Amino acid sequence: MNLQEYKRIDIKKDEVLPLAERMKKEGRFLVMIHGWINKDGTPEVSWDYAVDPVVESYHVVGETVFPSIGDIYCEAATWPEREINELFGFTFEGLDVSKRLFLPEDMLETQGKGQIMVTPLKELVEKNAVGGSSPEGEVKA
Amino acid sequence: MSYIVPIGPYHPALEEPIHAKLYTEGEVIKDAEVFVGYNHRGIEKLATERNAIQTLVLVERVCGICSHSHAFTYALCVEDINGLEVPKRGDYIRVITAELERLHSHFLWAGVACHIIGHDSMFMHIWDERELVMDLLEELTGNRVNYAMCTVGGARRDISDDLRRRLLEACDKLKAPLDRIAEIALTDKTIAMRTKGVGVLTREDALRLGAIGPHARASGVDVDVRRDSPYSAYGDFEFNVPVVDSGDVFARVVVRVLECYESIKIIRQALENLPEGPINLGTKLPKIKEGQTVKRHEAPRGQLSYMLMGDGSFNNYRISIHVPSYKNTPTVPHMLRNNTVADAGLIIASIDPCFSCLDR
Repeated sequence: MNLQEYKRIDIKKDEVLPLAERMKKEGRFLVMIHGWINKDGTPEVSWDYAVDPVVESYHVVGETVFPSIGDIYCEAATWPEREINELFGFTFEGLDVSKRLFLPEDMLETQGKGQIMVTPLKELVEKNAVGGSSPEGEVKA
Repeated sequence: MSYIVPIGPYHPALEEPIHAKLYTEGEVIKDAEVFVGYNHRGIEKLATERNAIQTLVLVERVCGICSHSHAFTYALCVEDINGLEVPKRGDYIRVITAELERLHSHFLWAGVACHIIGHDSMFMHIWDERELVMDLLEELTGNRVNYAMCTVGGARRDISDDLRRRLLEACDKLKAPLDRIAEIALTDKTIAMRTKGVGVLTREDALRLGAIGPHARASGVDVDVRRDSPYSAYGDFEFNVPVVDSGDVFARVVVRVLECYESIKIIRQALENLPEGPINLGTKLPKIKEGQTVKRHEAPRGQLSYMLMGDGSFNNYRISIHVPSYKNTPTVPHMLRNNTVADAGLIIASIDPCFSCLDR
């Protein structure tokens, strides 16, 4: 018996904040925020809320700047927002990105450029291989 | 006098790397910051270059303690996108493995917690009893760490009648040591003095910060995906969700001890009612259909969620893994405030953190 369902709902980016406020008021759990780039190159971010037993997934397509819901969901929102900023380069307005979350300190200069998830794996391997060069041209072990 | 006390990333009280900065006034922690990312392995990125079977192997290596939970949740995603109905027997075997994994994880955590508070005889006693669970896992799956029990469409190994009988006997055998551990954990003066009133997370803070799993349940938040949003075979079993509201480290001990009894209850029900039939669909290498889904599983440390996107090819287009420690680690600075530096290691460990999981 599998009662878990997934429901996709497309929204505009100016609906993100009112939605988060409504969900918080209803006591809904923010399952996660995901970011990715579609095959046709359009960026997409989804906010998943647990409306048990359904996961309601709200998607914004074609934007790279979003409002941060950190004031509503605290670190449950700011950590995934910071991760998406580091790995995909999407911006969350009002989010503090002065410190890195997952990337090494010496990759702060590339923060917000989405190096890891956007760059093809082969290029990443070449860049970081012994004798390869970092974005600044330094040799990386 | 004010100090900044660094803990980690490598520290005797930490099993995995995390860096905490404690801002103290004398012995008392006034504020704290945590820094993660020391185990970031780019597993989500690697998964985009792997097919479903390879990904099962990959995601089991996100974490050595809850490896089955990762494979289980990923398999649920593929099955959902591809519209596969897992045979009941396969579902039951997955649940039995998941609950044995919860038992070994909770025993492991309890042992580590006792070691941190200096109760080493209890640490050794708990880990000795944990061996019984590890032996069961080894007998059931063939492995002690990465069990490889899940495949797309079911379980990989069956349970023979003989093994079923022995597992049922083991459920009885486990009860006595668990009673003994519970008695010591809940009545021992040393444990009480080191854990009661320490590292409190209020219910309001747990809800505000989005804490999950046993950590949230120890702060009075009544959540459990197995009950609230049943999946696999969990809807077939009766079990309680222990909730304690004092929110301190002691409450986290109580919740985990009580959860062990519930896991044994689930394993027993699954074994006694193990359906006949195939254990899997015999799926070889599936193409992942175009689509997207999110699946959640109550891993030993709390809700584990996977987002999977398929594009009709053999490989994942994108997976996104979000683990319990992702939600629970940000609560640590709030719990550290107004506690002493000596308790910092215990408070960090009390969420049962897994930084390998968190960093992926």
